[in-house]
Amino acid sequence: MSLLSDPLSVVFLLSSLMSVIAAVLIVHHKSIVYSAFFLSVLGVGNSILFTLLGFPIIALFHLSVYVGAAVTFILFSVVMLKEAPVVEPPVKALAVIAAGVLALIMMKIFSVFSIEPSFFLNYRDLTALLVTKYWFALIVAAIALVTTLIEAITLARREV
Amino acid sequence: MEASWYLFISSILFAIGIYGLLTRRNMIRMLLSAEIIFNAALLAFLSLASLDAGYGPVGGAIVVIAISLSAAEVGVIVSIAIMMFRMRRALDVYELKKFRG
Repeated sequence: MSLLSDPLSVVFLLSSLMSVIAAVLIVHHKSIVYSAFFLSVLGVGNSILFTLLGFPIIALFHLSVYVGAAVTFILFSVVMLKEAPVVEPPVKALAVIAAGVLALIMMKIFSVFSIEPSFFLNYRDLTALLVTKYWFALIVAAIALVTTLIEAITLARREV
Repeated sequence: MEASWYLFISSILFAIGIYGLLTRRNMIRMLLSAEIIFNAALLAFLSLASLDAGYGPVGGAIVVIAISLSAAEVGVIVSIAIMMFRMRRALDVYELKKFRG
């Protein structure tokens, strides 16, 4: 009852429920177009969780770069393709067991961290760190982004 | 809300992503499952980074770079899928064997 009286806990419950349902629908929906759409829903749910953890700038970055660009790109590309015939390997029971065991092991390991997150990242801290300490990684990431996007355009435009 | 709750959600998302990767042969579906795993990893990373103010900004900076690289990786994989679909009229990953030189 006390959990539902705290507004942040309610937001956490709703956004985590949204993320998990979206993830299940990504894997199980028959149409790939809808699966790609649900990936953006997962991104929005995760952004809310990032904000609750004290990373609002990362949440905005995740929304704009990941949901806004990457997922939209997947969605548009999938729309251009015809639906491919579904071919499923017969290992579903084994996959369910493997995923379940993995989740249980990770939950057991993660149950150690019973501490409240107490941190708020502001724009000034992040920019200062990126410009002073991680400037080289930032340049490499920018070059990688540009190079791979050119590579992607070249591959997609190649006539066969 | 304790950090372990965020980590539980992360492990559930991770398991769903692994299940998707194991049960699908369609290239785009495998990419979408890998993206679920990526989202789970980001959530776990930021949950752990938020526990200590000293590591928080470092975790944030690394996640910014990781999201940028993930966007680039998505572009490449989708364009490979488009090329494969043009050549083979299929997105079955087993067809990738035929791309060997």
